[in-house]
Formats: sequence, C-alpha cells, structure tokens
Amino acid sequence: MEDDLPTEYDVIVVGTGMTESIVAAAASRIGKKVLHLDSNEYYGGLWATFNFDGLQKWMEDLKSAASENKDFKPDLQDGEQFLQASNQYSTIENIVEDWFISNDEDLPAVLAKNTQTESSEEPSGAEKVDDDKSDKKDTKHWSIDRIKKEYRRFNIDLAPKLLFARGELVELLISSNIARYAEFRAVSRVATCMNGKLTQVPCSRADVFANKTVSVIEKRMLMQLLTSCMDQGADSPEFDGYRDKPFVEYLNTKKLTPIVKHYVMQAIAMATDKTSCRDGVNNTKHFLNSLGRYGNTPFLWPMYGSGELPQCFCRLCAVFGGVYCLKRHLDGVVTSGDKCKAILSGKQRLTLEHLVVGQGHLPPEIVASTGENKISRGIFITDRSIMKGEKENLTLLYYPPEEAGQEAVTIIELGPLTNACPQGLFIVHMTCKRTKTAKEDLAYVVKKFLKAEKLEKNVSRTPTDSQTQTSIAGGESVSKDIESKNPDDENSNNTMPQVLWSLYLNLPASDIKLSESAPNNIHLCSGPDLNLDFDFAVNQAKEIFKSMYPDEDFLPRAPDPEEIILEGEEAPGPKFEGDNSNGENEKQDNEKAEKEE
Amino acid sequence: MSTRDPDNLISSEEGFDYLFKIVLVGDCGAGKTCIVQKFHSGNFVQRHGNTIGVDFSMKTVLIDGKRVKLQIWDTAGQERFRTITQSYYRSANGVILVYDITKRPSFLSLQKWVDEIRKYTTSHVLLILVGNKCDLEDAREVKKSEADMVREYLPEVFHIVETSAKENTNIDSIFFSLASELKRRQENHQINAEDEVIVKLGSGQTLPSNYRNENQVINLEDSNHERNLSSCSSCSFKVL
Repeated sequence: MEDDLPTEYDVIVVGTGMTESIVAAAASRIGKKVLHLDSNEYYGGLWATFNFDGLQKWMEDLKSAASENKDFKPDLQDGEQFLQASNQYSTIENIVEDWFISNDEDLPAVLAKNTQTESSEEPSGAEKVDDDKSDKKDTKHWSIDRIKKEYRRFNIDLAPKLLFARGELVELLISSNIARYAEFRAVSRVATCMNGKLTQVPCSRADVFANKTVSVIEKRMLMQLLTSCMDQGADSPEFDGYRDKPFVEYLNTKKLTPIVKHYVMQAIAMATDKTSCRDGVNNTKHFLNSLGRYGNTPFLWPMYGSGELPQCFCRLCAVFGGVYCLKRHLDGVVTSGDKCKAILSGKQRLTLEHLVVGQGHLPPEIVASTGENKISRGIFITDRSIMKGEKENLTLLYYPPEEAGQEAVTIIELGPLTNACPQGLFIVHMTCKRTKTAKEDLAYVVKKFLKAEKLEKNVSRTPTDSQTQTSIAGGESVSKDIESKNPDDENSNNTMPQVLWSLYLNLPASDIKLSESAPNNIHLCSGPDLNLDFDFAVNQAKEIFKSMYPDEDFLPRAPDPEEIILEGEEAPGPKFEGDNSNGENEKQDNEKAEKEE
Repeated sequence: MSTRDPDNLISSEEGFDYLFKIVLVGDCGAGKTCIVQKFHSGNFVQRHGNTIGVDFSMKTVLIDGKRVKLQIWDTAGQERFRTITQSYYRSANGVILVYDITKRPSFLSLQKWVDEIRKYTTSHVLLILVGNKCDLEDAREVKKSEADMVREYLPEVFHIVETSAKENTNIDSIFFSLASELKRRQENHQINAEDEVIVKLGSGQTLPSNYRNENQVINLEDSNHERNLSSCSSCSFKVL
C-alpha cells in the first residue's frame, strides 16, 4: 500500500511544469498542505530536459500513449459531476528524427586513429582529470553507437529558455532563496547575422566602444537611442506618435546607419518589421536593464538545462512539507456547482480547496479555446559551433524572417560546459512560432547555418576538438593556432557545423483558456510559451497564487539552514528574522511539537 | 560522544579551503536525517516528522590542517515515492547511501538507488554505503558480510560502514572519510578552473548577515571572470 496517499489537501497540483511547480512551492511555503502529482515518471512535463536515452524513451512513450482513456465510472455523491482528464492539450506533433552519421561497424577502422591527439599538449597533471575527459582520445569521431553510449552526457531541452539577468525569474530565485538549488552559466555572446555573416553583437558599454565595425558617430547615436529607451521606456515623450506603429518606423526617423539599426532591431530588441514601437522599446529596455549583472550578455542559462528549474521549486515545496508523487495519473475531477471538490487518481479520492492543473491534464469540458501560438522546435547535435571563437561559447542568435510566410527563429547553441553534450559536440536549439510543421518552418534557417546532409560512410570529417575551441586543458594554444589560419570562411560550407542528429517536433499552444463556467478554484497552468525567457510562467504563477491566497506573501525568502533553530542544537545559527509570514512560525512550532512527542 | 574530536570540528561560519556537496539517499526511515543531525549537532532525535524547512546543513571539518566544508543535503521526504529531483544530485561530490540493517527491503532497494545515482551524478562521484541502526543487533536482517559482497556489483562504492546514529557509532567517521577522500582526489587533479565559470545566484553558503539586503547584488561586470578559486570544487560565482 505504499502508493496510498493522504486524502485531504489544501492545494493539489497536477503536472510539474514551470508554472505548476512555482505555485506548488508558493503554497507549501506559506504552510498549505500540498500534493504535487505528475503522470510522467520525470519532472517538468513539456518543460523537461532529457538525456539522450530519456529523450528516445519519451518519444517511444508518445507513440504508445495515444489512447489510454478508458471509461471511468466513479462513485459520486449527490450533485456531483465527474469530468475526465484528457491529455489532448499536450499533444506533440510532427516528430521527425534523423541521423546523419553511421553505426560503428560501418566506420572505417583506421580513421579512429588520429594524428592530432591532444595528449601531447595537455599538461601531464590534467590528464587524469577524470574519466569523462580522457576518453575523448579513444575514438575521434562520432558514431550513432557512441552517441547512444554516452547518452548520460546529453541534456536536451524540450523547451529551452534563457533568463534575463534582471528578469522576473532571477529576482524570484534570489528573493525566495531558491537560487541555491541551481547553477547558471552566462550566455557568452549574442550573435547576429549581418550581410550573410555571423558577428558578435557588442553588448556592454565597453564592448560598444571597443568595436571597430562601428564608427564613433554611430556609437554616439547608439548610446543616445539606448539611453532614451532605458530611462523612461515606452512612455517617454520621445516615442509619442510611434508607440503603436512598427519599431522600425521610429528607428528610420533617427537616421541611424544600417549597422546600428541592425544591432538595435535584430539583436537588442529582437524585433521584426511588424514589432510595435512599444514592444521594441520595452524589449530594448529589458535587454539593457539586464546587462552588466552576470557575464558579458544579459542572459543566463541554467546548467543541465531549463528542465532543472521547475525541479528547484519542487524541492522547495518538498522541503516545506509538500508531498510528491510521480507516475501518478489524474483520472478526472469531481465538481459540485461552481467548485471543484476532489480529484480521482489511482482509485483514490483526494479532496482539495484548490486545484492547480497543467494544460496536459484538463478535462475538455472546461476549456474555452485551444490556443493559437503553437511552437516549432528543432534540436541538432552538431560537431562544431556555428561561429568560431577563442573559447567555447554559449550563443544566442535571433534570426528574423527572410521573406513573408516565415517566422523569426531563436537559436541557442550550447556546448559541453553547460553539460548539454559531451566534449567535441554542440547542441543547437531552434524555436519559432508554428505555421506549418516544425521541419518546414525551420528549414530556411537550418539551411543557412547547418550542414544537414548524410555523411558518407567512408568519409570522416576532421575531428573537431581542436577546431572548435572545446578542449579544457591546453585548449587555448590550439584554438589560437586555428584562428590565425583562416578567420574569413565563417559560413562557407567547409566550416559549417555538420549535423550528426536532428529532431523536429511541434509543441502545443500555450495560450489555452478556461471557459467561463469552469469551477473558479481550478487554476490553469500553461505549457512553455514562445518567449525567450520564463517570465510568462512566473507571472502566471503569481496571478494564480494571488487568486488563491490574496493576503499571503508570494514565496518569501526561505531560511538558510543556519537560521533554523532546532531544539537542542549545540550551536544555533542566528535567529531567523527576515520572515514574517505566519506559515513559517507555525511550521517551526509544529516541528518543535513533533520533537517533543 | 566518545569518538568526537573537538579539535577537528570547527564552526561552520569561518572560511574554508574546500567545499563539497554531499547528498543522502536511501529508503524512507533508514535514518538519513538522524545521521545528519547527529553529525551536525551531536543530537539524536528518535522521532522525526518530516523535517520541514530544513534543506541542507553545513559542517566544516579539519583534514590535515585544511578546512573542508561539507554541504550535506537531505531528501526532503521526496524519497518516499521515489521522486527525488535530478537537481538534488547535480554537482554532488559525494553520496551517502543509507539502508537499515533491521529492514531487509531497504537493503534490497540499494540497486534501485544506485541506478538513480548513476543516472544523475557524474561518473566520479564518491559513494559510501551506510548500514544504519547497528545498535539494534537483535533485529538485524542484513549481515555485514552481505553488505561487503555488494561491493563486487557496485564498484563505485568506496567504503562500506555500519553506523548507529543513536549510539554515535561511526557517524563522524562517515563524514571524515568522505571529506578526506574528496580532498585527496581534489588535490590530485586540480581542475583547471579557467573555463568553469558558473553563476550562482544568492548563494546559500555565506553568512546570513550578508543576505539581509537584497540589493547587495554584486555586479560582476568588472570582476575577473577567470579568477582561480582553488578552494572550490568548481569555480563558481557567489552572487549575493
């Protein structure tokens, strides 16, 4: 009977996506009794990050999970109604997986031995650094078998997202003290494609002034424009008469040179020709605001992938007493009048005050609109970076549509330092709004930056470690060598990253709405949205929490271990004062009471 | 208290030469929280509820004159339905895998725990196997020799020990052997920290007094990104 859960809760949360997890943490933090369920055996739902094996398994399960709906006849009391949960709003479509390399047995044996071993360049001390690094010397090129064998070293995101250094999520992580569960890496460069070539966008003031492609006058222009965006945002009189017109129209009045205009439009504001001036200015402001906090760019990337972050909130929820159960299916909800009273799950009836439910578990009866902003995703394992650099980079590239009918594509390229992939490889994530299928939507960008053709069996490309800048020890000398050779052929076919493996898929829309008649204690959490960052989820979680507990603090700072006084502690840390929520005191009291028993 | 050497335990609020993250796993009721409590504060509390609000504890031990700070994480009850988050295991340097010598099922689930550890930790994580409650000899269901045999199947286990949190048998020794082995390994292959620029927001490792003002966010723009923190397992930014 290990699976029997307690049956009464203040809040039941179904689904472990970002919004759900934040709400779960917030409710638990103020002392509410929280049950958090997920039908999957992993955390995160559509926000999850998988290793290579996990991703394959996830795709397998999608194929088999199609029709699990059985007719369900629960015992109901008078006036109650049962609404069966459905997974139709979390449907993944158009999955296309391709390999561009061969299996081991098809590879010519000799090529595995390569003259360019790095062992001679590595300081002897570093050689034994760990098993992970030494085995890159064994075989120098990648086969399907090798990628499968090293599945653990991949962390592949379904919905990769960045954090603005001063965005809602960073502030929330710090203020709630949940930041201690996560580690981040700063995005090291923002790239843009100018005149067919990739260049790095100067982000900091120092960068701008050090940049040689921009003249002094242009620098002044740029700084002036940025300052006016920064100081008052879109409300500044500066933008009178333009706010609802396209941003580009406003920029045209500023007599900017093409380069400056390009930087502002495509890198800083990440705008298309249709983006309104209001949005453009606000994006610019957001970007500039987040500069200079961590690293060279305004962005952070969660180590081990975006899927870590929901789990951080789950951990906090558990620390404050939330009950967790994965692989636990929501059969449906029991409503009575305009209230949801309970859920049925695994033959248990679990009662609740509030039901917080991810879009993947909604009964269709309470859904008003199924949303329009569907997402096209492409994921690629490549053998080198899209843009050469002296060191391994974490790159963000915004690529606006080339012609009508295309959507702007956000590209995030991750290297081994983020734990996204093993040494010598990169992961490229592409995301855009869906118009056709993922593969069709992204085709124009893939063609532009990646070489996605089958590698012939008998031809092996030069191993990439030395060209890509990835080796940890002694890497610097190597990459400098390479760089001096030929910095120009950036996008020529020879240096374009070869795709080893690709996956296309379409994620469901995130803008599903509940119907007016839905019980008002059911709170809907959206799946991943199209934005670059997590702020949509954070704000949605805040709204949900506020509608549930209008008078309570949203995720007040959790105490540090030193600040909690456990009875009989030898050397108690300083008393914890920073928190005035009643929930906290109550919990500590409970704890003491328990100990005294 | 007999085995406790006061000279080797120092207040957690001083600086440190090494910092390691240790996570505890094992079946519900094996005594994980008791072990941490005993080590951390010298107390044995027989009846724990779910340890609400307690996340991890810090303890600094002295090994060969170096201060080794251990950040010891407990499961927050998420082991009950096997729902420990992957992030719990991330960047762990050591794992203490606990079973209850009086409960055979807790010994039999070791394989499942090891699978999970293998899945989410790095390949060079240090694993120590702990059979707790060895004071309850009469109720013993798992022989020490059985545990020793496990080693053959689980090569990553570097040490096997039976403990009693109640009678303070071998508790300190778990942590000391972990700390000294981790320190030894760290010294032997000093990781080149240059590329290891990891950002931590609001670190949990500093004195609480530093936290009070949220606005004390350190602006990292001017700091040298490639400073070498040899003291730290992974050179990371501590951002308050």
